[in-house]
Amino acid sequence: MRRIGRGGALRHARLQLALAVAAIATSVALPVVLVSVGGGVAAHELADLESAGYQIVVSASGLHGIEGAHTEADWILGHVPSVIAASPILSISVESFNGTGAIAPVLAEGVVPRQFSLTLGPTEADLFPNPLPLGDPNDSVHFANGSYAGPVTFDALVSTTYAASYRVGPGDTILLSPSTNKSAGVSFHVTGTFGIPFSFFQPAGAYAVLVPLSDLQSLTNYSNGSGTIVPDAADSIEVAVTGAASTSPGTLASIASAIQAKVPFYSVTTLSQEASELRSAAAVLTGFYLGLSSVGLAIGVLFLALVLLRRVESGRRSIGIRRALGLPPWRIAGNVLEEGFVLAASGAGLGVVGGYLLVEALASWGSSTVREAAGLAVFSPIELAEIVLGLVALSLLASVVAARAALRVDIVEALR
Amino acid sequence: MTAGRPPAVELAGVSRTYGEGTPEEVRALRDVSLRFAPGEFLSVEGPSGCGKTTLLNLLGLLDSPTAGELRWNGESVGRRTDRERARMRLEEVGFIFQRFYLLPMLTALENVELPMAASRVPRPERRRRASALLAEVGLAGRERAYPHRLSGGEEQRVAIARALANRPGLLLADEPTGELDSTNAAAILDLLARVRADRKATLIVVTHNPDVAARASRHLLMKDGGIASDRTDG
Repeated sequence: MRRIGRGGALRHARLQLALAVAAIATSVALPVVLVSVGGGVAAHELADLESAGYQIVVSASGLHGIEGAHTEADWILGHVPSVIAASPILSISVESFNGTGAIAPVLAEGVVPRQFSLTLGPTEADLFPNPLPLGDPNDSVHFANGSYAGPVTFDALVSTTYAASYRVGPGDTILLSPSTNKSAGVSFHVTGTFGIPFSFFQPAGAYAVLVPLSDLQSLTNYSNGSGTIVPDAADSIEVAVTGAASTSPGTLASIASAIQAKVPFYSVTTLSQEASELRSAAAVLTGFYLGLSSVGLAIGVLFLALVLLRRVESGRRSIGIRRALGLPPWRIAGNVLEEGFVLAASGAGLGVVGGYLLVEALASWGSSTVREAAGLAVFSPIELAEIVLGLVALSLLASVVAARAALRVDIVEALR
Repeated sequence: MTAGRPPAVELAGVSRTYGEGTPEEVRALRDVSLRFAPGEFLSVEGPSGCGKTTLLNLLGLLDSPTAGELRWNGESVGRRTDRERARMRLEEVGFIFQRFYLLPMLTALENVELPMAASRVPRPERRRRASALLAEVGLAGRERAYPHRLSGGEEQRVAIARALANRPGLLLADEPTGELDSTNAAAILDLLARVRADRKATLIVVTHNPDVAARASRHLLMKDGGIASDRTDG
């Protein structure tokens, strides 16, 4: 039976309702964005772990903290049963100078080509040429048993994104330097590209180069000799085992133990352990997001309560008339609760849609990091329903406060 | 109580004091004892602040006495719960206010339907009855008009139709012509007299207007919260 008529008071009432819905929508959109993007990134990381071509990771606590990476990887490969590959990886941000003179920071990954290829999972394998065209497949010639006295290949693969941005391709050279000082740099031959083919219509990848491990170590002072920061350094060694052993948790645990005995100062974990830790971390993070969002939800609900109380206050006469006519108290309270529910449900619906559109907008127009994260967002119906139900439940509490105020309206006073 | 049949109303030593025990204490009604026979047409007159509206509010169960007893058909009703008094107002009492008090967001028809909706009268039935009531008060064809589109006389007619919606036995009118010009006032008085006679309801009208009071058969004059005179015509 309710109608919206004309007049300033009604316009004012409409504005109040619109603001209440907007406040609720904003407070719902925030958790929708946080939970969907956070959950999506975590799910992507898990998928990466589950599709990896290696099963065990050796890592050090400090940055680039594994010492004697070539030696340790060779030992693991040669002495631990069932191991088919041990790939040390060093990741360092360096500066690149290309033929046009442009300078750009780029993530350089130093790898042992053959071992790296063997530890690629099925989805990653398609992103790299096989074999990797990086000269010495075992990175042993330049390394020369830790002397770094052998001939250097100076070969590099560049990511498709970098190649497209700086028009660099096989046959070109780029100069990589550990600092913005070009004279400290070394020229590398571009022998190929890796990553998804570049397209304007899909998310861009990172600026990255792949070079032989020993080359990157020499370039960044992580090789050997006087003044070296960490000799023969790497960040991690990824270990792949044979098919049968790779699916047996017990076998993987015993292989990890054997490696741990050789490198007691490093962390040795299986990917299933890492996945479990990641799931725990993701759950904690989701809880944190929801906790953070509850502040926004509380503000939205508080605003709703204020609007409803204001409407009760401005509608005292109307409430007084209804009560004077004999409408039962539950019906007066029911009207306020119904109004609160409709506002909360409308705001929550708009918030979910708004959150979704915001994530889509971030995936299209955000900075590269934001685009990448937003592109991974997962909209879980269960989590969205939990957010909406939580909001509606809180809103009903706010409506109860307003309904109690409506029931306290004195009829005689209201009609005076 | 039986809806539709006017209750025999009795006040026994009824007082109403506002802000009792405070410096702002106001004794609006003092030790009033009265009996109203079913079907009476009564006017209540007196200067402003003499307690007329307070008396009407007590009779209509909008307010409770601070002393004394209010009885309907011999049953004490003055201090019943909010819920019970709401139900009794809905079924037994029709209010007509000086300022009409229509709900501005509802049409004329919806305003008249409101008490019936609260009484759970089925929608088709209440729509039919509300249309008939509006026709009876001379507003056929104005069912869909909102209050701000109606004249003062039309608004009061809608208010009378709303007061009659649940076929009450007790009609209480507080200055029903106070906001109307003389032509509209006369028409409203004719209407009230007719619906009272048709329904054999008790009609109690609070008024300052001698023309209104002249229509009643019994006349109460109030002064300082008490009954100064109680006169019944020939």
